[in-house]
Amino acid sequence: MAQLRRDYEQFVSLGTEILVAGPEKAEAFREYWAKENLPFIGLPDPEHRVLKLYGQEVKLFKLGRLPAQMLIDKNATVRFVHYGHSMADIPSNEEILSLLTSSPT
Amino acid sequence: MPRVELNAKAPDFTLNDFNGKTISLADFTGQKNVLVVFNRGFF
Repeated sequence: MAQLRRDYEQFVSLGTEILVAGPEKAEAFREYWAKENLPFIGLPDPEHRVLKLYGQEVKLFKLGRLPAQMLIDKNATVRFVHYGHSMADIPSNEEILSLLTSSPT
Repeated sequence: MPRVELNAKAPDFTLNDFNGKTISLADFTGQKNVLVVFNRGFF
């Protein structure tokens, strides 16, 4: 989250919004966003609707909530998918930003 | 097994953000790229 916040303006300048979904409830999101001063759109998903839709059910809830990132372009096409294999398995922003820079939609 | 495939159309979804505002993936189509991050939990 810290690295995403650091590069947030760069994502915005490339026409990209950041949505962060998680299993916590709205109140927990609100507190965390306030505490960390996060600019992202926070999507509480306590019923796991989107988490299941996007294939994170097993990894998230049986193996301990592994991170995942998807870049979806303006045509609603998936341009980048990363399912983490460990808690620390998060792609670099540079990897995603370079995609946005090299192939504007 | 990942259900989201590279270069395929992303499944639309709608959720309320933590302020109660309705957010759909479709809202951004034609407007912005979206980076969706599934967090492992903040706490």
